[in-house]
Formats: sequence, structure tokens, C-alpha cells
Amino acid sequence: MLFVVSKVYKMEFSKEPNFDMLTAKDFTPEKYVKKLSQNYVGGSELQNLRRKIKSLSEETSSNLKKNVYENYVQFIETAKEISHLESEMYQLSYLLSEQKSLLSALSTTSILEDMQPINIDRDNKLNEKDFEEENKQKLAAILEKVEGCKELLEVPGRTFLYEGDLLEIDPTENTSLKTVHVYLFTDGFMITNRNSNSRGLMKYVYEIMYDLSSLAVVNVRDLGNVKHAFKLLIFPDTRVFQCSSNSNKKEWLDKFDQAKKTRLAQEQQKRESITEKSPSRSASIESPTYNPFEEDMGTIHPEWFLDIPEELDVCVAQRHFEEALSLLQKAKDYINQTASSSEKHDHVLIDIQRKVEQRQNSLTEVLMKELEVNPDKSLQGGLRAARRAVRLLNQLGRETQSCNLFLKLCSSMLRTQCKRVKREGSTTTYIRHLSSVVFTNMCHMSDEFLRAFPDSPACASAYVVWASNELLQFTTHLIKQVFMPQTSLATITECIILVRTQCERLYGYGIDLCYQLDGALRSSLMKALRDARDKLIDSIKLRALDDKWIPMNLHSKSSLGRCIQEHAQMGLNLESYVSGDTWLQLTASTLSFTKMFLSLLNDCMKLKTTELMYTIDETLYNVFEAQIRHNENALRTELNQEQRTFLTKNAEFLLVNLIEVAQKKYKENVGYECQTLQKLRKEYVALQKGVSPTSRSTKTKYSSEFI
Amino acid sequence: MAKKLAVQPSLHKVIMVGSGGVGKSALTLQFMYDEFVEDYEPTKADSYRKKILLDGEDVQIDILDTAGQEDYAAIRDNYFRSGEGFLCIFSITEDESFQATQEFREQILRVKNDENIPFLLVGNKCDLEDKRKVSLQEANDRAKQWGVPYVETSAKTREHVDKVFYDLMREIRARKMDENKTNNGRGKDKSKKKKHCCLFMCC
Ligand SMILES: Nc1nc2c(ncn2[C@@H]2O[C@H](COP(=O)(O)OP(=O)(O)OP(=O)(O)O)[C@@H](O)[C@H]2O)c(=O)[nH]1
Ligand SMILES: [Mg+2]
Repeated sequence: MLFVVSKVYKMEFSKEPNFDMLTAKDFTPEKYVKKLSQNYVGGSELQNLRRKIKSLSEETSSNLKKNVYENYVQFIETAKEISHLESEMYQLSYLLSEQKSLLSALSTTSILEDMQPINIDRDNKLNEKDFEEENKQKLAAILEKVEGCKELLEVPGRTFLYEGDLLEIDPTENTSLKTVHVYLFTDGFMITNRNSNSRGLMKYVYEIMYDLSSLAVVNVRDLGNVKHAFKLLIFPDTRVFQCSSNSNKKEWLDKFDQAKKTRLAQEQQKRESITEKSPSRSASIESPTYNPFEEDMGTIHPEWFLDIPEELDVCVAQRHFEEALSLLQKAKDYINQTASSSEKHDHVLIDIQRKVEQRQNSLTEVLMKELEVNPDKSLQGGLRAARRAVRLLNQLGRETQSCNLFLKLCSSMLRTQCKRVKREGSTTTYIRHLSSVVFTNMCHMSDEFLRAFPDSPACASAYVVWASNELLQFTTHLIKQVFMPQTSLATITECIILVRTQCERLYGYGIDLCYQLDGALRSSLMKALRDARDKLIDSIKLRALDDKWIPMNLHSKSSLGRCIQEHAQMGLNLESYVSGDTWLQLTASTLSFTKMFLSLLNDCMKLKTTELMYTIDETLYNVFEAQIRHNENALRTELNQEQRTFLTKNAEFLLVNLIEVAQKKYKENVGYECQTLQKLRKEYVALQKGVSPTSRSTKTKYSSEFI
Repeated sequence: MAKKLAVQPSLHKVIMVGSGGVGKSALTLQFMYDEFVEDYEPTKADSYRKKILLDGEDVQIDILDTAGQEDYAAIRDNYFRSGEGFLCIFSITEDESFQATQEFREQILRVKNDENIPFLLVGNKCDLEDKRKVSLQEANDRAKQWGVPYVETSAKTREHVDKVFYDLMREIRARKMDENKTNNGRGKDKSKKKKHCCLFMCC
């Protein structure tokens, strides 16, 4: 936020000579305001200045809005222009290729007029080329319309056949489910859904691509009141689609038939060409079609199965991981089935099984690479980008690995996020920002983690270990940043409370790290409390030197009133100590101690944890005792009677009024009264009567060696 | 989910298999619509659904009538996977169609990986007794060997048409109940059964 404001200032105020500083590189608002207020004296002048700055900032923000709007308009225009250009380019390239073919045709006809047959041949080839070109354009067009089907072009020889809208029907309930837009290719059937958040271009979202060879088409002749439907059997799923009319359905079925037949023919061709090319293979048992000897004994494996290792290679290379996985599954199913139904060793089967296992390993490796932390890799996509690899690895049964990698990824992301938080402004601001970044990310990561590994106890415990490690790192850093000698206990308290509140956000994900946080901070907090105690005792001693044991003059009725009110808010009634118009029958030292002690108590109560109670009690006792001792010591010195009475009154105020207020507050927070303060009160009860409490046990375990 | 199941009567998926022209479609249409179709028009893959009363219980039958023609043999697997029970049909007037049942049986067992899949061997066109090429004895022997029932039908006279469909559905239903029981009893019994089955087949 600060950053934005300063940027705005930078942009617009540069014209104003008064505000030159705003453009300076090392501009910080605090400094700037400080400097300004040094030059301008008096409220009205400052108020003027404020008004000026405010109007400037308003102007700026309206200018900014205008600029943004203009930029946006320009952006839209540019985008339009680009899409125009693109279509023009398409047209141009089409024109060019047409002209080229025309020219080449011309050149051949003019020079070799007698060579008709060659020409025809060329024409044929040209036609084929045209067809290819057309298909390519069609695929490109689909690519532009359908979100998430980038792999469409990666299968060589894929040809578009047919497309259209269909209504999907629930196969058991016969009720309509949704409208889909589907594409039929020579090798597959792609289902896409309406893009609900489309902004014009991408009309559809990719749902799935079924391999044609794993899909069976059924003409639905009778399905109650559902007319014009056909069914796809994709084991184990059945999907029913309704066409707009009977002729439309016939068209679809014909196209499917055509696609299937071409594919069968292609496979046949491929099989033949393979056997032609490698005669040795046809003699071996590997080629089932040409084996007269094994007719009934050896198992004949389908073509797709024999091709599976290569297919897997292709899938992995093209990053079609889902497809690879389903192929793997298919192959395994087949192997299991076949192995269980045949008695003998089948060498082909064993060979392919081995190959498939290799492919599975390499697929796992590739997926693990995806998840690896790499300095070159941008973490832009965040954990979302990791979802796919994690899901696939889990499906491959590599949950442990994917869990480990996922957590490493989380760590590295967390680190980068933290590095972005600049140490600027006050400690509290920095800690507020940093802890929010850390815990927001951790919440988000927990969310992703639970999504990715929903019910695996092993992974869950790995996560807990990870989270507690991250917390440890964070607290180490926190301690370095917060617990410095110059930091006041109030600031420390504020920071710790901030972090604790943030840490509690993880409760929502079933992770409670607060105990660990408190544990990690305990020794530092103990030290901070002792440091604060020592500082306070020092200042008590300093003030004691100046104490003249005289009532305090507040100089005006109003400031007396204010003082009384201030203490009333702390729960202390000073009315009975008022004398005259402006006097209080308490010393300045007593009053400042009161204030200081209550604020110490306040911080202590905020920080309190069971483990810290001992230190807190000790701190409160020592600080209070330092002040009381000052009273006691003074009593031993030569004082007149009036001063003695006055001193006793002060001591009584501290031991009765202040301790009462403190105990109330303590009890509110802890549930019982502070025992050390109670003890202190008993020990010094004699002071209230103006007697030095000689009878008390001289050193208690709470008394400090610093006095 | 449970509600849905309760509303819709349970669905039994039957597949008609057998060589071309043996009368798979004719049997299906006779069962569905009480009609006999004289013309022969080869089938690719047709599906039908009908609500019927099976021993006092409302059920739905889903019939998948497949192609007998040889050129579709390569893609039969994908169809067979979806079946819960099979009517394996031949024509008693054509020995070749009877021989082909062996191949269909093997393919079904391989795809379903289940020795006990509900299955009926059906000799159709029994109205053409004078043209009989497959003897009752032969057919019965094969059925016994497979451990399945054998029934002779006529799509023309409607003889035993309902019987074959109803008998098969009873088997499917009994099978499903068995599975439910074992599934409810012990969570992972399915894999056990499969293993058992494998052992059985290897020995
Ligand atoms: N006489 C007689 N003819 C039958 C019978 N069943 C079928 N036919 C005839 O046999 C021919 C083929 O019957 P279909 O039912 O179409 O054969 P199909 O098994 O479905 O054949 P495909 O669809 O190619 O697999 C038709 O002309 C039928 O009329 C029967 O029980 N008796
Ligand atoms: Mg038919």
C-alpha cells in the first residue's frame, strides 16, 4: 500500500516544485512528512498543507483512473488489430500457396506440354496436399476454439472428420445431462464442454479425448422416450448422446463407421508393412498372423498391445501423461488377463511386460522431474501447476515420492515469497507482512496438500513434519528480527501476538502449531522479560535519586483533572489524594511507576503462556519490589514527620491500590491472583504503618541479584 | 446415490453374440416387440432397453445386439466388456455357426476374466427342423462341457424366446446378489476371488 501511494506521488507531483522530494529515489513517506512538518509551523499552516496534498492526491487518483481507462481502450483496440492481422496473414499465406501451385502448374504445362500423365500425377498430389493443408487449418481452428487441447496437433496424421453439438444423456436415468460439442478424428473422439467464462474466442473447454480403438459405438434403437441417440462404450463407462434428428444420428454413425474402418485398414496395412520389412519377425512367434505352427497353442496378441511400448514412448515424449497412464493400465490389464488364461510361458508377453515396466519407470521419472525444484523454473503457476504431476504419480502408486517432492516445492515457494517481503518500516509492520505471507501460503499449501493427498496417513504425517520445520525456520528468523536489545517489550508483544493470530489460521486445516511456536519463542521471551525487568529497575533507581518526597504539583486544574481521569481508566481512584487545586498527595515517582508497571503487566498478560508464568511472576515481583525498596530505604533516612506520613501514604497507594488493580487484571487473564505480588504485599505490610519491615525474610527466591 | 438406485429398477445388461444371420436381431426384436422380421439386414451394434417384471420384481433389461459379421471381430472386445450376461446364439441349420460359438465363448471369458459369467448357449431357428445340421446331442455336450444351459429357440414361432432372456436375467441377478454379499462381508473379497479364479484356470 505504501508503495502504491509513493508511486502515485512520484508520477504526478513532479511538476510541483514544493514536492520535488517526492520524486527522489529514496523517498519514504515518514521522512517526507517529518521534513514538511519541520518547515511549517503551527496548526493552520500544516492543515493548509494537508489540504493541498489531499487535493493533489485526489487529482492524481482521478488522473490515474483516466489513464488506466485509456490504456485499456488502447489495449482492446490493439488486440482487435492483431486478430485482424492474423486472419489477413492466413489469407495471404493461402493466396501465396495457391499462386505458387498455379505458377508451378503453368511452368510444367508450358514447357512439357506433351507430358500429360505427369501433370495428372501432380494434380493428384496437389489435391492431396490441399486436403492436408485444409485439415491443418481445421485443426488450428479447433485449437483456437477449444481450451486445453494443445496436444491436438501432436499426433501425426490426425485428420478431422466431423463435429457437432450433442446432448449427453444419463445412461441409467435417461435424463439429459448437458450439451457437449464433440469432434471426431480419424483416431479419436474428443468431447468438449461449453466454456462458461469464455471471453469470445475459446468457446469450449476440453473434457476428454477417447482413443477410437478403445471405444465401441452402439446405435440406441430403444431407450424409452429418448430418441435419436447413440451410445459409446468406453470401458468401464457408458456415455449416451442424443442427436438433433434421425438423419443427424445416421450421419454420426456413418462417420464413426468410416473412421473405424479406415483405422482398421491402416492397422492392417501397418501390420503388413512391418511383416514385409522384417521377414525375420514374421518367422518368429512375435508376429501372430503368420505363424502356421502355433495356431491353437500360442496366444495371439492384438496389434495395439504389441505397439504399446512405442506408443508409451510417444505419449511420454509428447507429455500426454494421462494417455500414457491409461495405456499402461490397459497393458497391465491385458497382461494379467492373458497370463492367467494361458498355461505356458509366453515370450512376447514377457518381453512386452518388461518393456512396459521400463516405460512406467521412465514415466515416473519424467513426472518427478516435473515436480522438482529447479532454479530456472518459474514458480509462476504455483502449486496448481503441480496438481497434474502429483495426481498422476499418485495413480502410479508413487505417493511417497510425490508427497516429498510436493513438500520440497512448497518449501521453495515459501522461501521465494518470503524473500519478496522487504524489511522496511517498523518492526511491527515487517512482521505483520511477513507472518501474513508465511501463514497465508501455508494455509494455501495445506489446502492443496489435502486436495492432493486426501486420505493417506503417511503423507499427512510427512506434512506435519514439513509444517513444523517451516515454522522452525520462520521462528528462527523472527527471533533474529524481533528480539533485539533496542526493541521494547511492547513491540515484541505486539509482534508475537500478530504471529500467534496468524498461526491460529492453520487450525482450519487441522494443524495446530501454536504450541510449537510458543515453545520456540519461550527462551527468547524469557530473556526479553528479564531484559525489560532490568531496564525498568534501572529507571526506578534513577528516579529514586531525584525523589524529594514532596507532593506533585500539576500546575493547573485541567491537567490535574486529566491525570485523575487517566488513572481512573487504569482503575485507580486518585480523588482522595487531591489537595488544593493542583496538588496530588503522591510523588511523581510513584505515579510514573504506576503507569510503567501497569503497562508491563499488560504486556505480560498478552504474552502469557503456562511456561512463561514463572518468569512473568518473577518479573512483576522484582520490578515492584525495586520501587517498594526505594520507599523503604527512604524511610530509613532522615525525614521529618510530614515527609514520613507522606511516604507511608505513597507506600500504601502502591501496596494496596496498585496491587489491587494489578491483581484484578492478572486474575482476569490467568484465573487466579498473582502469588508473588500477594507475597510482596505481605512482606511489606509494615511499610504502611511507617515501619521498616525488618522481620521479613531478607532474601526470597524472587528477589533479584540486581538490586 | 442410494435414492437414485431405489427409484430406478435394477438394470441387467445382456449381450447377443453369434455368427452373422443366426437370428440375434430376430430374437431381440421378437422379445422386444413380438415381431418377426423376415428380411435380413446385418447389424453393427444396436441397443434396446425394456422394463419387465422378473419374478414379481421390476427390472430393466438392456440388450446389446452385436454384429455377427466377421469384419467387426477385431473390435468386439470393447462391446463384450460392458456385458453382464451373454446369449451365445447359433443356427441349428448351420454347422459353421455352431463351431463359431467356441470362439465367442473363449473371447468372452478372456475379456470378462470370469469363468462363471452368466451365459446361455442358444440354438435358434428350431422351427426349421427339416434343415437341422446340428444335433441336439452335439449342442448339449458342448453346453455341459462349458457348464452352461442349452436352449433351442425360434424367433419365428416365438418358442422359448422369453425363456432364454428371463433365464439369463435370473442368472445375472443371482450373480449380483452373490457379489453384494461377499462385498459387504469382506471389503476386498473381489481381488481374492479373482486370484482364486486365476489359480483355477492355471491348474
Ligand atoms: N425360420 C427362421 N428364420 C429366422 C429365425 N431367426 C432369424 N431368421 C432369419 O434369419 C435371417 C437373419 O436373421 P437376423 O436376426 O438378422 O440375423 P443376425 O444374427 O442378427 O445377423 P447379424 O446382424 O448379421 O449378426 C433373417 O432373414 C431372419 O428372418 C428363426 O428362428 N426361424
Ligand atoms: Mg443382427
